[in-house]
Amino acid sequence: MDNKFAIDLQQVHLSLEGNAGPVDILHSIDLQVTQGSSCALVGPSGSGKSSLLMVMAGLEQATSGRVTVLQEDISAMSEAELAQFRRGRVGVVFQSFHLIPSMTALQNVATALELAGQPDPFDRARDKLTALGLAHRCDHFPKQMSGGEQQRVALARALAPNPKLVFADEPTGNLDVANGASIVDSLFTLTREQAETTLILVTHDIQLAQRCDRIIDLRDGKICESNGA
Amino acid sequence: MIALKIAKRELTAAWRERLHGFRILMLCLIFGIASISAIGSLRGAIDAGLNSNGRVFLGGDAEIELTYRQANAQEVAWMTGQSLAQSQIIDFRSMAVAPATNKRLLTQIKAVDSAYPLVGAVTLSNDLSLPEAFAGRDGLPGAILAPALLQRLTINLGDQVQFGQKNFVVMATLLKEPDNFGNFALGPRSLVLTKDLEGSGLLAAGTLFSSKYRLLFEDGSQLGKAQQRFDKDWPGTGAKWKDARKASPGADRVIERMSRFLILIGLSGLVVGGIGVSAAVRAFVAKKTGHIAVLKTLGATPGQIFWIYTIQITVYTGLSVVLGLLLGALTPFAARPFLPGNLAEVALISIYPSALIEAAVYGCLAAAIFSIWPLAQTEHIRPANLFRGGATAQWPARRYLIVQGALLAAALFGAVQFSGSWSMTFWLLGGIALSLLILALISGAFQFALRRIMRGSAFQRRLPLRAAFSALASGSERTGSVVMGIGLGLTVLAAVGQIDGNLRRSITQSLPDKAPSFFFLDIQSTQLPEFNQRLAENPAVRNVETAPMLRGLVTRINDQPAAEIGGDHWVLRGDRGISYADGLPEKTKITAGQWWGAGYSGSPQISFAAEEAEEIGIGIGDQLTLNVLGRDITATITSLREVDFSTAGMGFVILLNEAALRGAPHSHIATVYAEASAEIPILDELNQAFPNVTGIQIREAAALVTGVVSSIASAASIGALATLITGFLILIGAAAAGTAQRAYESAILKTLGATQREILTSFALRSAMIGALAAGVALGAGLLGGWAVSHFVFENQFNIIWGNAALVILGGVGLTLITGMLFALGPLSKSAATELRHRD
Repeated sequence: MDNKFAIDLQQVHLSLEGNAGPVDILHSIDLQVTQGSSCALVGPSGSGKSSLLMVMAGLEQATSGRVTVLQEDISAMSEAELAQFRRGRVGVVFQSFHLIPSMTALQNVATALELAGQPDPFDRARDKLTALGLAHRCDHFPKQMSGGEQQRVALARALAPNPKLVFADEPTGNLDVANGASIVDSLFTLTREQAETTLILVTHDIQLAQRCDRIIDLRDGKICESNGA
Repeated sequence: MIALKIAKRELTAAWRERLHGFRILMLCLIFGIASISAIGSLRGAIDAGLNSNGRVFLGGDAEIELTYRQANAQEVAWMTGQSLAQSQIIDFRSMAVAPATNKRLLTQIKAVDSAYPLVGAVTLSNDLSLPEAFAGRDGLPGAILAPALLQRLTINLGDQVQFGQKNFVVMATLLKEPDNFGNFALGPRSLVLTKDLEGSGLLAAGTLFSSKYRLLFEDGSQLGKAQQRFDKDWPGTGAKWKDARKASPGADRVIERMSRFLILIGLSGLVVGGIGVSAAVRAFVAKKTGHIAVLKTLGATPGQIFWIYTIQITVYTGLSVVLGLLLGALTPFAARPFLPGNLAEVALISIYPSALIEAAVYGCLAAAIFSIWPLAQTEHIRPANLFRGGATAQWPARRYLIVQGALLAAALFGAVQFSGSWSMTFWLLGGIALSLLILALISGAFQFALRRIMRGSAFQRRLPLRAAFSALASGSERTGSVVMGIGLGLTVLAAVGQIDGNLRRSITQSLPDKAPSFFFLDIQSTQLPEFNQRLAENPAVRNVETAPMLRGLVTRINDQPAAEIGGDHWVLRGDRGISYADGLPEKTKITAGQWWGAGYSGSPQISFAAEEAEEIGIGIGDQLTLNVLGRDITATITSLREVDFSTAGMGFVILLNEAALRGAPHSHIATVYAEASAEIPILDELNQAFPNVTGIQIREAAALVTGVVSSIASAASIGALATLITGFLILIGAAAAGTAQRAYESAILKTLGATQREILTSFALRSAMIGALAAGVALGAGLLGGWAVSHFVFENQFNIIWGNAALVILGGVGLTLITGMLFALGPLSKSAATELRHRD
């Protein structure tokens, strides 16, 4: 494996404005994630796991410090530049699925491909859904599907553009055990099928975390422990 | 492009849901556009009718009007030489008397010749032709009377009617008089042959009458050239030209001003509709926060997001414009049976593209102006909102503010172009903007005050009140939109009601205290002594004032055409009543210059009304040329006088020294102040003694004016109601949007032990408070507007019209309460467990 870093955080600090004044979420985070590896962020609730994931995914701007993703410094990028950066490079799977309710499964997946400017978005979307066993759900809306099916559509949407980075925030949090296991299997299988795809996931599930190459333990916005590569 | 594709997907989904969430937005726009296009289409129909029937309304291709005299031989020869046919009409006020019942009534007599009508046809109630009707019966000439005259004189066909000293037989009722459109008269119409008035004593020298000569030309399309020949050959005669290109300039002016005013009122409805649009778009964007965050996560730029939702709003706007125009274009067709008689005859109901374009432009601009701000807010929705909840409201980026400013300027410019009046547009739209600002500020202040009040211990153990106050204070009830939405309609209703009520009260109650009982016209100089004596001997008569009366036209000011100096001022528009005096009349106050002194016989001098002089821009030393009975008199203004027209008493804008006019044929007018119970006997006595004298009862004239004022107020009120209906739509939208929130709130309160009654009371309280706030502000604004108009425009005392005030308050509270309750019952009926499980 090439030891090039997919993500490089240097003294990253995140502070957010709350009703009672600024709240420090992340404190002086230094972190490098090797390209093609998988990494689990663990820690108690409120430790800043999701916030760290958002900073790495370019969904949140760090208050200070440097954030380099896929060899590009995204610290000072504008909203529009970040959006364009994410196209085709970053896939995100949310705990609550976050499918667009007014679009079918096929349209949800195709939208990601269209934004990435990839050809034949609907054919490719159909292929991805079929690979996840959802061929029969292509023309169904989210409200017509079970939670497990919705999460698989979300997974298809995140992975269809073949992103170099995949972020998953508690992907099994709203699923039963069976569905959750199925999703996780699909997540690992599909990301490993794509060469040099880096996976970052947030989880409370220690067994799931142990499937990753590296576990990062976060407490009170600071990295306490980091095992693995 | 990707934004278009995604917008199309969302539009398809919305169509499947039957446009849920957009119905209020569309209804607000449809209603506003329909109102404006309906008014514009009706105006277009009337304009088209006037233009295409110009000859019929005028009674010929052209008309030459002379005041106080008939055409001389030279003038008749000119008309005969220039035209194919001519017809003379003499129009004047007089008294119609029923000899059988001795009832008498003011009438507007039209004396015609045998060529009348040159164009068009008069419709009578029976099968008689005009010549047959005029032929009369039993040696008496025939007269044709308007139905109102027959009714009020209590006479029938075949009975006699007396004009002056001559009796006529009523041969027919006048049903339609095509050349009378747009003419205002104090009395109903009587139609006789001019030659039959010989021996009646009417039309004596000095009688106030106008003679109109209708002309038919060989080529009716060369009216411009004909007018040029008239202008060249008739200078200084005092004659006025009118032709079929603009047959009823007076009516034109009234209709034009009324429709401009109504369209601007319609715009206020569209502004309120815009508030509804803004609220709907904000709700739409809030609902789509998750979608937007996901799209941004997938790589959609802020610009793409803006266009995805702008395209959707544009489609809804386009649909609303089409539906609004359709409704507006069809409204005149549906309204035709309900139009007043005159307008129904004139209006050429059809589709008028310019009216529809105007409404479409307004509608599109309103939608754009009011939706750009909430659409711009999509920029502030971050993907992180998916994890942390909704975006906070922020100012849009500068480029959106610039675009919004440009759209506002375009809307204002468009309003001025379409209305044709800077001042009317500025005052009305400025008033609307100010009202909305005040409503918004007061709404914000109200919420601030509530938050403060709630800290007090008075709210402990008063759940309904506390829940209501906290809901209003938190902004979840959309207090601002609702208050602005219904507040503006209520403000217009309140203002119109207060102004109309005060004006009517002034006319019907306070005017009779100050105004005379009668105006008597056409008193010959030889009749004046006996006239005065009869009144002096009557104990019921409090006061009599008389003055000589002529009519003249101001043609030049300082040897320049009068219109060039004074513009369209009413004094310069058409002929005026002019008088003369030797000594300074009683109670006359000179404000500048000096009176000429009794016995003055030097060069003509004028004493001019001070306020009107200032308005026209003339003063001491300026020279006016007046055309009186075809002769020019140039006189110098040597004094200015205070003239109070509000008392409806004797008041002349122009007074000349006696020597300047004494020799001109003229009659006298008199104002008589008497006890109300003695009015009819006085009228009877004087009319019997002087059949040629016309008596105008001020009470009746005031009733006529009150009717006109009320019609205008009614039209404005209808416009205000349209605004209120749009506000009601916003109210419904806000209530519907809050249903989910109320269901959640109910579920939690039930879990905590609140009863259904307590929860319903809380809902009712918040609705009533919003309504009371809107109505209170509206009433305040209405009272202020009413006071300002009464004080500054009509210079009258202002009184609160309590009926209108109560209507506004009850209307505001009632509307919000009923709407609030209708949308509260659903949430209240839901099971707490179901609701809370759904939220999980």
